[in-house]
Amino acid sequence: MRPLRSRAGGSTASFWRREPGPIAWLAIAMSFTAACIALWWFVTRPGGPVSPLFLPPPMDVVDAFVRLLARPYLGSTLGRHIASSLSVVIGGWLAAGLVGLPLGIAMGWWRKARWIAFPIFQLLRPIPPLAWIPLAILWLGIGDSARIFVVFIAAIVPWVMNSMQAVYSIDGLLVRAAMTLGASDRQILTRVVCRTALPTLVAGARIALGNAWTTLVAAELLAATSGLGYIALNASRTLEMGILLVAMAIIGILGASFAIGMQLLTRLVAPWSAT
Amino acid sequence: MTAMPGPRRRTGSSVPQPALYGALALTALFAGWWLATAIPGVVSPRVLPSPLDVVARFFFLAIEPFSGSTLEGHAIASLTRWLIGVLAALGLGIPIGVLLAWLPPCRAAITPIFELLRYIPPFAWVPIAVLWLGATTATQALIVFIAAFPACVINTQLGVSQVEPILLRAAKTLGAGPWTTLRRVVLPVAAPSIFTGVRIAFGNGWMALVGAELVVGKQGLGFLISQGQINDSVATIFVGMMAIGALGAAIDALLQRAQRVILPWKTASVRPLE
Repeated sequence: MRPLRSRAGGSTASFWRREPGPIAWLAIAMSFTAACIALWWFVTRPGGPVSPLFLPPPMDVVDAFVRLLARPYLGSTLGRHIASSLSVVIGGWLAAGLVGLPLGIAMGWWRKARWIAFPIFQLLRPIPPLAWIPLAILWLGIGDSARIFVVFIAAIVPWVMNSMQAVYSIDGLLVRAAMTLGASDRQILTRVVCRTALPTLVAGARIALGNAWTTLVAAELLAATSGLGYIALNASRTLEMGILLVAMAIIGILGASFAIGMQLLTRLVAPWSAT
Repeated sequence: MTAMPGPRRRTGSSVPQPALYGALALTALFAGWWLATAIPGVVSPRVLPSPLDVVARFFFLAIEPFSGSTLEGHAIASLTRWLIGVLAALGLGIPIGVLLAWLPPCRAAITPIFELLRYIPPFAWVPIAVLWLGATTATQALIVFIAAFPACVINTQLGVSQVEPILLRAAKTLGAGPWTTLRRVVLPVAAPSIFTGVRIAFGNGWMALVGAELVVGKQGLGFLISQGQINDSVATIFVGMMAIGALGAAIDALLQRAQRVILPWKTASVRPLE
């Protein structure tokens, strides 16, 4: 991001208007974060203004994390809960990709495929994936299959829409150049179209994974017997605030690692598009 | 722009071909649904009600109260909570976004915490929001706020940081104070990006609200479909889902129209699909 530079000249306001250097940036970031944690500790100290049932002290959260690591909670260890969440999210996301990627590419390339399938997606797209959860529970029960179904619904729309858009908006000059050079239809599709579209395809995969994760957490609050969302809901019912915050933090950290991982993947498969 | 492959427009036919194909596809979909439910033994009506049942259920829900209120009542409850949440997100998110873009040290201070919280899905806040605020409208509005806020901040910040420094210097040279510069130079340049943020925020807020209503609350469209699940009525779930989808689509359509009115200079960055 381009910094917004103020006029040259050393007025007193220049500290606020100048982009800090990397070291200053780190120092500001760390001291502000530390100040927030200190404030958190201060307001939740015994006899402090905030009740531990509203926000537990930082040490309680650390304790809860250690306790979760040491012994099983709600029938499984923390690792098993995380593995259960991850397997559903990856399973639904991959299944959606296996269907959505070819479908989207076909819809981008053949106009008849687009004319037929696009209205159906337009009809289904405004319905939030979360709204499918009650239906999934009625149809499939509260097992893994209901959650995989909901994650699949959440992930397939970005898969299809991005791959369609990517293939559709390819510069016609590239295609005509390949034709002139004697490429067959199949070669054009695999060597020119899919390659040029790759960054957008990966972007679709990234959005799909983010959607899948958000939706899975929701599904686990409603229908699950394991998983991080299930931990969070139970901890909130039993008023174990520490465990609730640990579950939320792990959900956030995993979501962030998905986003970072997909960015690295973009750099790996399409280095020319990385910013 | 050069000619593209793909849609070669055929002139001469009276009905546009894409519409014809689309109508055929949708007709086939509904006919398949109806046939599957009409022929006994294919699918049980408990699993998939016929389209006629769903239409009948829609009129029933629109007239008779179900789970506390009529369909309209649930929709109004949902829309109210949604509006409180998104307006709070706009009111707080846009000024914060401007501030973060204008004062880089503030950005450095807030970024770590903001990034950490941003990756927690809004829905994961439901259990703690219930503990904080109980099963009230405020809980739902808080979830909507959490879902809508990051999009407002990020897009405002992006838009403001894209303002060319030369414009700011020109404004300064012409004698504009910081407030005039903000109002007359920065905000118009950043407006398209801010508007994109608003659109994303409104959509995210609507989605998160449905999720929050599934877990807590005694009213709203999300509550309606969860009651449909408990009462084993797939038709009620279908009606609720369609109402949620239709309202979400209507909100987005209104925003698109508003964008054309408020920001007539913004040109579409991607080629529209046909």
